Formats: sequence, C-alpha cells, structure tokens
Amino acid sequence: MKQIAPPLFLGILFLTLQTTLLASSPLYRIRPDLVLILTLYLSLSYPMVSGGILVFFLGSLLDLFSGNSFGLFTFSRPLIFMIARLLKERFYVEGFLPQFLFVLSLTLVEGLLILILLNGLNPRPVGRLYPLWVFVFLPQSLITGLVTPFLFSFFKQRLPLLSPQGTKGSAGS
Amino acid sequence: MSLRVKQRRGIEFFDALLMEVCSPFLKSSTFVLKTVHGVFQEYVFLVHLQKENTLLKQKIIDLQKENHQLKEEALGGERLQKLMQFREKVAASVIAAEVIGQDPSSWFKSLTINKGETDGVRKGMAVISPEGVIGQILRTGPRHSIVLLITDYNSAVDSIVQRTRAKAIVEGKGENRCQLKYLLRAEEVAVGDIVVTSGLGGNFPKGLVVGEVRKVEKTGQGVFQYAELVPSADLSKLEEVLVIAESPPPPPEEKPKKTKRASGIQKRK
Repeated sequence: MKQIAPPLFLGILFLTLQTTLLASSPLYRIRPDLVLILTLYLSLSYPMVSGGILVFFLGSLLDLFSGNSFGLFTFSRPLIFMIARLLKERFYVEGFLPQFLFVLSLTLVEGLLILILLNGLNPRPVGRLYPLWVFVFLPQSLITGLVTPFLFSFFKQRLPLLSPQGTKGSAGS
Repeated sequence: MSLRVKQRRGIEFFDALLMEVCSPFLKSSTFVLKTVHGVFQEYVFLVHLQKENTLLKQKIIDLQKENHQLKEEALGGERLQKLMQFREKVAASVIAAEVIGQDPSSWFKSLTINKGETDGVRKGMAVISPEGVIGQILRTGPRHSIVLLITDYNSAVDSIVQRTRAKAIVEGKGENRCQLKYLLRAEEVAVGDIVVTSGLGGNFPKGLVVGEVRKVEKTGQGVFQYAELVPSADLSKLEEVLVIAESPPPPPEEKPKKTKRASGIQKRK
C-alpha cells in the first residue's frame, strides 16, 4: 500500500492539473503530458508488478476522463511502461539530454500507437487526425520531453516515497 | 463729524509709525513660524509616512482584489442571465451544468460537467449553450458526466444549411473545426452560411445553431462536395452549459386538427 499510494495520489493530481489548470492556459494545445512522465518515471524506478498495476490504473483513469470510448490509454500506457522497462537497461537515462530524448521518443511512439489503434478500431477512416500529429502532438511531445528532466529530479530529490525500497535511486541512474 | 475726523488724523501718524516699527518684527516672526511649521509638516510629522504608505498600498491591493471579485461575479451573473434567457427560449426540459474539466489528452475533444445521473443526465443527451451546439453526453457518473464535443472526430450531428436547407452530417475534425459530410455537390453552399440542427437525430431539437461555413471546395469528381465549418460556440472557453433532458413534445392538438380538416375536406369533396 505504501508503494502504491504516493504515485497514485500524484497521478490523480497530475490528471487533475492536465484537465483543469493546464487545459485552461493559453498554451493548452501544447500542455505537457504529466501523467506520461510519471508513467515513465515509474518504469525506471518501480518493480514490474506494482508499477504495471499503477500504470494500468492511471491509463484507465485517463480513458475515463477523455472522450475516447475504446480504452486506448488503458492499453497504451502499460505497453509504453513495458517498452521503457526494456529500454532502461540498454540506454543511459541520466542528465537532461538523455532523459529528454527518452521521454520524447516514447511519447512519439505512444502517439503513433494511438493513431494506428484509432485507424484500426474505428469503422470510419480517421485520416483527418494525421495533421494533428504534426501540428499538435509533435510540439506537445517536445514540451513533455523538456519538462521531464525537471520533474524527474523533483521526484528523485523531493519525493523519496516514489522510489520504493530495493529500487531506490535507480531512476535515471 | 469734523471734530472726529480731525482727531483721527492725529492718531494716524502714530498708527503708521507703530506699524512701520512693528511690521518687520511681525514679518520676521511669521517667516520663522512658517519655517518651523514647514519643517514639522514636511519632515518631523512624516516619520510615519512609510508605514501609512504601506497601509495604503495594502488597502489598494485589497480594493483591487475586491474589484476583480465583483467584476468576476458580475460577469458570471451576466452569463447566467443569458443562459436563463436561453433556457426559457428552448422549449425543452434542460439541466444547467458547470464545466469542471477538459480532455486530458490532445487526441480527443471532451469536457467534464458537474451533473450526472442523479441530476437526470443520460448518455446521448444533447449539450448546448446560448451560442449553439456543444456536443452530447458520452459517459455518465452519479454526479459527473463527460461531454463529447462536436469537434471530436467521433462526433456526428444531423444538420441542415439554414439558407438552402441542404442536408449534411457535421463531423468533428479534431481541432476547432468541423466538416460537413455527405453534402451533395448539387447543393449551393457558400462561405458564411449558417448550419443548424435538423432535429432528425433525435438528440438535438431542430434549429439550433451549429456553426458557420468557412470553406467550400468542389474540386475533383464525386457526388459530394467538401465544406468546413467553425462551431458558433467557442468550445475552449466554455464555463456553463445546458443539457437537454427531454426534447419538446409535438403540439398535442396539431394532429387531430389536421385529421379533422382532412376529413372535412374529404366530406366537402
């Protein structure tokens, strides 16, 4: 419970921020995906089972509050979590640039995945969503990537509760 | 009278002399008094000026805050009044709701409102504002609901072009744009035309403004033409909306009258 409660609370807080404060700012189109940053941080610092359950729950919460009726985030978020876990052993995720590139690439992967799923699941073609990928999703991914190093260091320094015992300090190292 | 004048003339000399002697003293004492008064007024008494200044600044900040709050309340009141006036115009049972959140992702276009099943909101109900159509209820909770905006690619609203009565389906384009689908090539549609709901879908009452045509293209071959429209309501700045709980029932006496007339005509024939 101690492992799950703090990131869950933070996830709900980030979701609330994404739907209210960040959504009403003038730059709402390129607001950073804070929940995705938390998901990727969990993939670096949390064990597979508890992290996976958390990410699954956060994904389903995202689906619940978005206008998507397929449960795309419930599927995509755990998948991204798994990919990030596979990548963390092979890539150096320490410092501004590696963290930025790590999150940027995975955000773009998730965007592509959603687009493919939307095209596959929708009875009508959603070709008109492709321009959205360039004009909205790409800038948003960049912003998410830029915010990541600051949030990662904040999680690491200020929120030791987010690093469960045994894996403490493994995020970004 | 003349004696008094003579006496007065005698005194005048002494008066003038006294005045001449005293006036420099008076002048200098007045100057000294004024200077001392000035020193006290401008320096000694101003010791607490900084404190007073801080207090006044705080007071200004408080007043400004109060002013902003009052302005916000006045604007909110205006919006509610507009909403209530519109509510009276719409001949359907409506539920007023407040927008409490927007879609967390950029892929979908939705809103969260503070009314749910306990308030009578059901899936598929139309959501409108005084400016026009907003969308429809996608998901309901006990106290909250998710509204799918007309700009979402999953949204479809049966509509007609107000001027030409051309039928089409308004579909979302993702961003703040919609597309008129299945609009026949033969139909005359121009930029600036208003698109309204047809009432055929069942969810939306007839005649609600959906948006304004901004682009019409007849390039290529095919049965249909391409038209793009901008929603009449600014979907990014919504604060209060109305959920249509029940569409207005048809006038009860209309049908029997028609049948009576028809039977009357038949009888005459």
